[in-house]
Amino acid sequence: MKLFTRYFRINLLATLLIFLLASIAFYFLLWWVMIRQVDEDLKIEQREIETYVGKYQRPPEPITVKDQRISYETTDLREQMHHFNTVRSPDKQERADFRQISFTLPVGNQWLLFKVSKSLEGTQDMNRSIILISGLTVILILIVSLLINRWLLRRLWQPFYTTLAGIKKFRLGEKKIPAFEQSPIDEFNLLNSTLDQFIQAAEKEYTLLKEFTENASHELQTPLAIVRSKLDTLIQDEQLSEAQSNAAQTAYEAIRKMARLNQSLLLLSKIENRQFSETHSFDFKKFVEEKMPAWQELWQGRNLRVTRLLEPAHIEMNTHLADILLNNLFSNATRHSPEGGSIHLQLKDHQFVISNTASGGSLDPGKLFKRFSKGGQSTDQHGLGLSIVQQIVEVSGKRISYHFDKGQHIFTLHF
Amino acid sequence: MKVLIIEDEKALAESILAYLHSEHYTCEMAPDFSTAMEKISCYDYACIILDITLPGGSGLDLLRELKANHKAEGVLIISARNSLDEKILGLKSGADDYLTKPFHLSELAARVSAIIRRKSFEGKNSLRFDELELDLLEKTVRVDKRMLDLTRKEYDLLLYFISNKNKVISKGAIAEHLWGDNMDMADNYDFIYTHIKNLRKKLLQAGAQDYIKSVYGMGYKFSDRP
Repeated sequence: MKLFTRYFRINLLATLLIFLLASIAFYFLLWWVMIRQVDEDLKIEQREIETYVGKYQRPPEPITVKDQRISYETTDLREQMHHFNTVRSPDKQERADFRQISFTLPVGNQWLLFKVSKSLEGTQDMNRSIILISGLTVILILIVSLLINRWLLRRLWQPFYTTLAGIKKFRLGEKKIPAFEQSPIDEFNLLNSTLDQFIQAAEKEYTLLKEFTENASHELQTPLAIVRSKLDTLIQDEQLSEAQSNAAQTAYEAIRKMARLNQSLLLLSKIENRQFSETHSFDFKKFVEEKMPAWQELWQGRNLRVTRLLEPAHIEMNTHLADILLNNLFSNATRHSPEGGSIHLQLKDHQFVISNTASGGSLDPGKLFKRFSKGGQSTDQHGLGLSIVQQIVEVSGKRISYHFDKGQHIFTLHF
Repeated sequence: MKVLIIEDEKALAESILAYLHSEHYTCEMAPDFSTAMEKISCYDYACIILDITLPGGSGLDLLRELKANHKAEGVLIISARNSLDEKILGLKSGADDYLTKPFHLSELAARVSAIIRRKSFEGKNSLRFDELELDLLEKTVRVDKRMLDLTRKEYDLLLYFISNKNKVISKGAIAEHLWGDNMDMADNYDFIYTHIKNLRKKLLQAGAQDYIKSVYGMGYKFSDRP
């Protein structure tokens, strides 16, 4: 729930409740005041009748006007009294209620009970109008305040949303630190400056780490070069025994693995540092087809049957990265197919699918793209191939997925 | 032929020197920027092996100096940095080739001899080794005027061997030369074996000597010595 909505809900509920209670109280108060007014009028009528009776010793002629009736009758009561009550219209024709005063008065030697009633029609009409008007006013006020609040809140919170949008776009390592706007509101400025400091610090740490990886990898190249060159020199010795040759061979292998590992780490950190940001749109079908001959020999050597179903498609990415991507995917498929297995390439509808016969069961998709996770039992790989693939796909704004179906490892590049 | 090795890492420079020296090159070493500058302004070399990061300055400045003085030396950059941009920058600044550390000495020797061939035999694009004659432009090989039918890889392999004659070349170096290091298949030595077997067969059939010798399963040696 948005802050707005939550705020409005509470606000609206409270306001409505208050207005409702006030309206009810207002209605009764108004009614009470008006009845009092009518009662005053009726009392004046009573006094007039009393004066008339005192003067002429007979009741006045009952005159009926539209909203006032006077009637009297003899009564057994022998004392003076009066009381008010509200009655329904005596002659059923009018719908309005009447306010009636009943009082006793001795006239000559008998007591008469007078009843004077006044129509409440006007009063009720007025009351209704007043309630209606105040009700409408309340609704109007509510609507207007709702709109104003909405607009005002949105305006006030604008810097917050701007900041949020800035952070959303921010990616660690992209070196694009969002610029936060100055706001007249202190809280937002505080938020922005805190975020800014936080991001700067994170970015700095990240850069340091990346630089460290890159420098460490570079620094390793020279010692590796020395070891390799010394081995190259060593094997020239004609006096070398077979055992020594074998030792040199093993050292060569270790150096080769280390050099490759180092190269891959360097490549990863370069990709992460977005050093391959230049992209082109190119014919992916042609690209794949041009890549295949280089692998033909390896495929033949392992008796792999390679089939393809390629439809023309264009892809937008860095060509150097695309090259590494394909190489790694091909290498992966080639390595993990058993001898005599098959590889199938399919390019269709912005999807490049590479599937190969599996020698085992499904791989763990959660671990697959992680660094140094080794799929098979082979210790020869460093387990960085697929993380490089993942990294390339990520910086290129594409997606790669893996699934296992009918004894096939299937990698799908969505672009 | 004189080769100048500009490399601050003494151990590496010495290895290069030892390897190239026996290839009938005369080598000199320059371990820092000022020594290198002095040497290139006083002498002429057939090829300069240049490290980019040097104490006292950048190898690229040396390269620019060479080009400004219209020196004809071929330059091979050896660098720990292997980014495409730096390769392009090096080649644009006038280097003839770029090799990333760690490299095999046999690869270095092959590149150096290719540079020297290009620089010093202008117009003459053939290479002789006893009865073998390689046409470097056509990429063809003749044995006593008889054309050999070699695949591209077999030709590359032969040229690589001749550039490293009388040297033991490790299988890893051959694999890397033939497949590059992008393919990550350099551990598949069966393929090397197949190519070498075929090349050797073709050479023998054409009446050439048996030059290719296996050394303890560790590598191969191309030699006309018994």
